Parts: sequence; C-alpha cells; structure tokens
Amino acid sequence: MSITNLLENWSDFRQQHPSDDRPHREYKWAMSIDLDACTGCNACSVACYAENNLPVVGKEKFAHGHSHHWIRIERYWDNDGREFADQGAQFLPMLCQHCESAPCETVCPVGATNHTADGLNSQVYNRCVGSRYCNANCPYKARYFNWYDYPTTDNVWPEPMEQQLNPDVTVRGKGVMEKCTFCVQRLTVAKSNARSEGRSVLDGEVLTACQQVCPTGAISFGNLVDPLAKVGKQWMTQQVELNKDKQAKNAAEEAAKVRGYRILEELRTYPSVMYLEQLRESAI
Amino acid sequence: MYCFLRLSVLLVGLIFSASSYAANAVQPLTTADDLGPKVEQPIEFPHDRHAGDAAKGGMQINCMYCHTYARRSIVAGIPPLQKCIGCHQSIESVRETPRIKKLFEYWEAKKAVPWKKVHDLPDFVRFNHERHIQRFVFAQNKPVQEACGYCHGDVKTMTVARRQKPLSMGWCVSCHQKDHPVDATSTKTTHGPNDCWQCHK
Repeated sequence: MSITNLLENWSDFRQQHPSDDRPHREYKWAMSIDLDACTGCNACSVACYAENNLPVVGKEKFAHGHSHHWIRIERYWDNDGREFADQGAQFLPMLCQHCESAPCETVCPVGATNHTADGLNSQVYNRCVGSRYCNANCPYKARYFNWYDYPTTDNVWPEPMEQQLNPDVTVRGKGVMEKCTFCVQRLTVAKSNARSEGRSVLDGEVLTACQQVCPTGAISFGNLVDPLAKVGKQWMTQQVELNKDKQAKNAAEEAAKVRGYRILEELRTYPSVMYLEQLRESAI
Repeated sequence: MYCFLRLSVLLVGLIFSASSYAANAVQPLTTADDLGPKVEQPIEFPHDRHAGDAAKGGMQINCMYCHTYARRSIVAGIPPLQKCIGCHQSIESVRETPRIKKLFEYWEAKKAVPWKKVHDLPDFVRFNHERHIQRFVFAQNKPVQEACGYCHGDVKTMTVARRQKPLSMGWCVSCHQKDHPVDATSTKTTHGPNDCWQCHK
C-alpha cells in the first residue's frame, strides 16, 4: 500500500459517520431486533458459536469473566418485589453494533479495525497486536479477547464432529481481538453471486446465523440502501435515522407511539442495530 | 565549495533518475525467489502438451476446459478422472505410454488421482476465481491463458505446474491498485477492492 494511494483514496479507507455528501453507495448492512418478540432463548448465541467457530471457554474461565459469545443475551430482572421463581425478566441480545462512528476504530494503534464501504466495522486478525484498547473503548462491551489458543486440549471435536466447524471463518489465535462480523462470510458470498447476475443482493437473500435460527423472528437483517428491504422499512416506520443521535421515540413525549431506539445513542456512535422497545409484560 | 555543490546536485540527480528508471523498467514475470517448491504429483501431468502452442506440439486446450469451475465458483477445480478418460479412451496413439497406463490404473481401480495442491493460500484468505475470470476473460476479453497467467505464470510451458508468483498480500495489492478498464471497449477504469474484509476472513 503506497502512500500516494493512501492519500488519494483517503475517504475510501476512512469511512466515518454518514453525511449527506458521502452516503453509502451500494450496501449498508443493518439490523433491527424486536425485544417484544425476543424470548431470551439463546438460540442466536448458539447459532453464532456454530457459524463462527467460537471457542467454548469452560465453566472456570467463564466465572473469571472470560467468554467468546459474539452475541449474548443480557438479562434484566424486574425489581417489583417478587422472588426468583415468580420474578420477571427482560432480555436484550447484545452484539457488535457496527457503529458508523465507532469508538474502537479510532483508538486501534495498528489500524486493525476499520470501517468497510458496506458500513461494517471490520476486524482484521492478522493485523491485530492485542493492545485491547478497542475493547476498553467499546461502550457496548461487544469485543472479546483471545487470552488462550483454542482448543486448549486435543480431540475437542471427536470425529466426525470436527466437520461442523466452518471453513469460511478463521480460527483466531491467542492474542487477537474478535467480535461479531455480521456473518461477513455469508455477505461476501451473496454479494459475489449477485454480482455475477448483474444485480444487488436482494432482501432476504442473505441471513445472519442469529437471524436464521431466531424462533420468533425477532431479528431482521438487510441492506439499508435497498428501499424494498424489510429492515429499512422498519427503520423508517420507527423514524430511526442512521445519522441522528436522538430518535423520534425519545425526542418528544407525544411521539411515544414509535418503539425504535439505538443503545447509547447520546455517545454519537451511530450504531447499525436498532432495537424495538418491549411493550408486553416481562416473561416469567 | 561550488565544486562540491555541483557534485552533490549531480549525484542526487543521478540517484533520482536511476530509481525512476528502475520503477519504470519492465519487471520480470518471475524471479527465483518467487518460485514455489517443486510438488511431486502422482502423475507427471504435462501442461505443455495439453495447453501449449501448436507450434511446440501443444493441443492449445482452453484452461477452463479442465479447470471448469474457475468461471463460476470460488475455486478453479481439479478435473475429475472422468474428464481425463473421456478424451484418452479414444486416443490410441499414447495409450501405452507410462503416464497414461498409470492413469488407466486409477480408472480401473475406481480411485481418484490424489493430486497435490500447488497454489496453496493461507487459511485466512478468501480468493475468488470467478470474480477474476469474469472480469478479465469475459468483461475485458483477455485471452484465457494471459488472465490465468497473472497469478499462475506461463503454465502452458510447464510440465507439472509450479508456483511462479509470490502470492503474498503486497503482490495482490500491487495489482488491485492499478487502473483496470471495466470492459473491453470502455475507457472507464476501476481498481480492485482495497477493503481488508474482501480478502481476509
């Protein structure tokens, strides 16, 4: 990579939060998660383990706060005085929000995490030196560090179970950061197929692993640039806009009809994941 | 004093012109450092006999006749044994040569030929043959052997294929940075993608 190329195409290398003069051209991958539909069943998390070769760290290391779930279900207990068996809880699937103005990107000393032209927050394992600065700066705590090489013991997957590992996803070594990629290996295949047929990726043509297994269909994923995409329609009906740091739901009292919001928007990270507020009572 | 100044100016100019000349000079297609290891194949497949020029005794078979997936898949594909036999069962003149005898031994034993991989990229790299072949062969109308040769070298002069190019990231990027016309007639050019996730998985 020569310096001249870097300087001439600086805007391509350094995609920042969206503005009117530099919109996303072909793709802007985004997600919406309906918390009213989410039952906290953890199927998304399990699917992510299977799709992305995530290591299982074991009970002991998990107790020390070490884990690799790229999508995790956060559980919030109701504080209405009821005890455990009757106590209600709310669930929130938390994954990398693929922020348009990502705090992790600006602090990486080696440029291992960048913004792609498709609006993804990329993590390049080969370039990562393991400073863990990005993790410290991520307000969503959606980045996971490899403290060990996995698997730590031999024969973790007795034959033929090793066949379930995904050859399209790198196994990350010790000392690198990893996080949700919006299943970029699937996006690449879908984009290539679409390109061979001279079109853009159609809505529903590519599913993320978590979306694919969600039994209640709480997760939608698609291209925000595509006017026919379900995810774009959801963002529009909820009046959530990518380049605003305060949405209709929180802007005025009377606009309480809409449910869409993004987490920690006031930090101006401009996330690509919209959540739909839960209206029903907590699950028990 | 002026003498020294003149000398230094001259030297700087010389170095500058020499370096710019070196940058413009045609780079050799392959250097000794880029050559991959010799790979022992179960059958010494003569690429030169199949794909070579007619003047040199070659059959000028299109690369994609055997590596048929290159235009429509991520991998170029090693042809199945049926493909070899499909032609060779009716080529009586070479039937009794040692390599063809070995080929028919595999065929009669109903076993695939255990070909060895020559161009092996690291596991973290995603390389798509289809995208490159569609661009260079079908959009730009480049000759197939030239387009394949960008990465595989001049295979039609080799017997057993051997890696000719470094296949390193810097080498890939050096081509992705160049201006490539979008099709055979257009003057519009584009670059290859320079997004990390396009190739790194």
